[in-house]
Amino acid sequence: MVKKKGSITETASAIMMEDDEEPENTSQEDETFTTLSETLKEIRKLKGVQGYILRGTTSATIDLKEPGKIVEYAILSSQALDSSREITELFNLGEPQHIFIQGKELKTLSLLIGANKISIFMEKTADHTAILNRIPH
Amino acid sequence: MSNEVYAFALKNTLKEIKNVCPDVTNTFIFEENTKILAKDDETPEKTIRKTIEAFNDITERADTIGGAIETVTIQGAEGKVTITRMNDFYLTSVASKEADEKYVNTLTQVLIPIVIKLVDEIQPEENAKEKSPLAEPEPEEETNEADQEEAPAYEPEIEEPPEQEPGEEAAPQEIPEPEEAEPYEPMEPIEPIKEQQPQETEEENGLQIPEPPVTQLIVENLGGLLVPSDTVRIDNALIAQWNDLYGDKEIEEVDIEALNGKTTRCKFKNIKDSKYQGKGIIQIPEKLQITLEATKGELVMVKPVVE
Repeated sequence: MVKKKGSITETASAIMMEDDEEPENTSQEDETFTTLSETLKEIRKLKGVQGYILRGTTSATIDLKEPGKIVEYAILSSQALDSSREITELFNLGEPQHIFIQGKELKTLSLLIGANKISIFMEKTADHTAILNRIPH
Repeated sequence: MSNEVYAFALKNTLKEIKNVCPDVTNTFIFEENTKILAKDDETPEKTIRKTIEAFNDITERADTIGGAIETVTIQGAEGKVTITRMNDFYLTSVASKEADEKYVNTLTQVLIPIVIKLVDEIQPEENAKEKSPLAEPEPEEETNEADQEEAPAYEPEIEEPPEQEPGEEAAPQEIPEPEEAEPYEPMEPIEPIKEQQPQETEEENGLQIPEPPVTQLIVENLGGLLVPSDTVRIDNALIAQWNDLYGDKEIEEVDIEALNGKTTRCKFKNIKDSKYQGKGIIQIPEKLQITLEATKGELVMVKPVVE
C-alpha cells in the first residue's frame, strides 16, 4: 500500500509523492528510482499500456489511465507482491523477482527491483515480455 | 462429470508430467471453491492450502483487471510458480530455474486440457442412454436369472477398449478418497475405465473360450435391509457384454480384486438404481468392502467367473 506521504505533486499525467523525511544513504536507491521512473514513462507510451505504479523507499509515482481507480490498482499491486512473497517462501524459490497476473480484461506485471516496487497495468494484447525486457533488473 | 473421475485422470497426468520433466517440482490442481482436486505425492496439503489462500487474496482484489484471474506467474530467484485457469480448475506448477519454460508449458498447459477433454469425451451420450431400455426403472424384486435373460436384449453402447498384451495387468492406480461424506450428486455416465481384451486361450470341447475380460469399476456403497451381503451390483451393459462373449455359458459369480491385492468371489446382479447405470460403477455391500479393504470411490478390477 502507498504510505502516507509528506507532499504530493501532480502533473498532467502522473502523480509524484515524496516523503519529507529521507533516510540516509539513499542516493543509490534514488538513482535507481529515477532510472526506473524514466523507463516507465517510456513504457507508458506503448500501445495497450494502461499505466503504472512505482514505489520507492521515499517516493512513489503513479500514472494511470483511470485515476479514479488508483486505490484499487494500488491494493492489487500490493497484494500481488505480498502473495508472491508467501508463495515463493512456501516452495523455497527465493525472493520474488517479477509477477505476472492475467485477468479477464487486463493484465499486470509487477517487479521488485531492490527497494523499488513496480506494477504495470496493460491490455491483454500488450506484449508483457517485451515490457519486462525493457526494465533494467 | 464426477470430480472423482477427473481427479483420477489428473492425478496420473501430474505424476507423468513429473516423470518426464523432473524440473517440475510440484504440481496440483484445485477448484474455484478451493477444493484440492489432484496433487502430486510430494507437495504437502498444508503448502497447497496456503498457496490457494495467497492466490485467493489476489483474486479478491482483482476487480480492476476483470475479476476472474486466468494466469498468475511468479518468478522467484530459484524457480517459477505458475497458476493457470483451465475450465473450472486451476493448475499450479512449480518449476526450478533450470526448467525449460516452453517444455514445461507444453506439458502442463497442453496436456492437462487434453486430459480434461478426453475425460469429457469418453462419456457415452446421455441421449443414447435414454434410448436404452436400461434407462427405465426396473422392478425391485428381480432374480439373477431374470437379469441374465434380459441382458442380451441390450446392445451395449460401450466402445471396445484398446487391446492389451496377454497377461498384462491393468496398472494399479490410486484415486483419492472422498474427503467427506457428501450428499449424492448424480454422476455423468462414464465407461468402464479399462477393460482387458479377452484372449482366447482355453479350450473346451475343441472350442476356444475367451479369457474373462477384466474391467475396472468404481466402488459405490450398497445398503438396505433386504440387500444380500454376498452380492454386488454391476451395470447391465457390462453383464450384457459378458453374455454376448460367452453365449449360453452361465455366469453366476465375479472375481473382484482391489488395488491393494485383496480379492473375493461373489454373486452379482444388475444395478437397479438408474442413477448408477452407465457410469462404470460397482455397488458393493459393506461386508464385501471390508473384505476387499476398498471403500467408495476406489477402483476395483472385476472379471466374470466362467465355468
